[in-house]
Amino acid sequence: MQIGKAEHVYSISELNRASRETLESTFGDVWVRGEISELTRASSGHVYFTLKDDDAEISAVRFRSRTSILTPTPIKQGMLVLAMGRLTVYEPRGRYQFVASLIQPVGEGALQAAIERLKVKLQDEGLFDAAHKQPLPRFPLRIGLVTSPAGAALRDLRSVFERRWPIAELFLFGSSVQGAAAPDELVAAIESARRFSRQAEPLDLLIVGRGGGSAEDLASFSDERVVRALFECPIPTISAVGHEVDFALADFVTDLRAPTPSAAAELAAPSREEIVQQAGRIAQGWKQMLAKRLETREAELTGLLRGYVLRLPVRQIETAAQRFDAAVERIARGLSEKLRIRIGRVDHAADILRLSDPYRPLQRGYSMTFLKGETEPLREAESLPISAELETRLQTGRVISRITEISPASEVIEE
Amino acid sequence: MTIEEALEKLESITQELESETTGLDASIILFEEGLTLASTIKSQLEEARLKVEQVIETSQGVFSLESLDLT
Repeated sequence: MQIGKAEHVYSISELNRASRETLESTFGDVWVRGEISELTRASSGHVYFTLKDDDAEISAVRFRSRTSILTPTPIKQGMLVLAMGRLTVYEPRGRYQFVASLIQPVGEGALQAAIERLKVKLQDEGLFDAAHKQPLPRFPLRIGLVTSPAGAALRDLRSVFERRWPIAELFLFGSSVQGAAAPDELVAAIESARRFSRQAEPLDLLIVGRGGGSAEDLASFSDERVVRALFECPIPTISAVGHEVDFALADFVTDLRAPTPSAAAELAAPSREEIVQQAGRIAQGWKQMLAKRLETREAELTGLLRGYVLRLPVRQIETAAQRFDAAVERIARGLSEKLRIRIGRVDHAADILRLSDPYRPLQRGYSMTFLKGETEPLREAESLPISAELETRLQTGRVISRITEISPASEVIEE
Repeated sequence: MTIEEALEKLESITQELESETTGLDASIILFEEGLTLASTIKSQLEEARLKVEQVIETSQGVFSLESLDLT
């Protein structure tokens, strides 16, 4: 084939531009229906995706400038949408694409609107009032679950409780969690849990939920009957519907909304490690408190010892002091039967010290005599020098006297 | 005693120990009682095995339990 002179030879740029102009002028704004796939969000804020139906697909883009104003619902992979936009060609690549200016989930819009209307109605009735919320128990032991026996939620709840709070007993009230039968089954399960709690075993807590899914899948948890059944339920309740971003009306009526079933299990109970650590910290506090009290006691005893003018034999004091040290040490280590005996001994030692106060006999009418200036009381008369000065201590006061005569031991009358 | 009661008991022991009117001997007894309690809590929690049961209401107010424990 030969190219005729009259034929125009396009450069690629020209061809792409001509195609773009033709497409844009031919179609203008169009509406398309399709499913979103291959969704990527560029860091620029533009969103690239493919719109497809069973037989064909087209590249599509939603520019950032359009994102916030016109599309309140975030688009998601797999979502069926109605989109308005124009057809164009991305000239540098010769790629034919759809530039969306408005994207609206199909079906979901109507569903969302119905849920919104119901929300307002129930809110006006006061079902969501804070006054109806009750506190959750700190340490729930019997926990009811309203969810599907076959679902991911049950698996997640169970594995978190197994790890963190295995002391609990879980009671499953099975129900389907999506589809036409789900609202009635959920209501039945919630009511069954109520009766079980009242007539069989009191439940400390109820967790109602399911794993993630489409808006239609989650809609049962926004059903009016389900919300009302939860409102009537006297058991403290946590809702856990779908993922973090999902909200259901059940979330507004329960006492706590958890972002996911796993999170519900974590919010429901403390972890056993926390409790064990807490008990450990409390016991540690006691040890310190007791060690401190023993120190105080020791200081008292030391004070008592210092109070004596005449010292007890050094060995006795040291023994008492050592017993104290040992007792303090044992307290710090957190012992035991023997410790108590030792503490008793230490206290006893203090009593002995008090009883052996050398001045005590003075209160009974005895006196003590010293060579003046000495600290050791006199026991023997024989070797004392005549005319030496003596100091005699009585119960009150002292007497200074001089030796005028010394009698031998045999002349003293034995007591 | 439930875990909650045991923890409350630990807290009340702390209060008694802090009280000036509790003598040293009484403190030691409390202390040891508390340590026993704390270790009971610990072993209860560490040895616990999660129980999971499906509740089936055969007729209104009549329940049968079916264990879903992992074997």
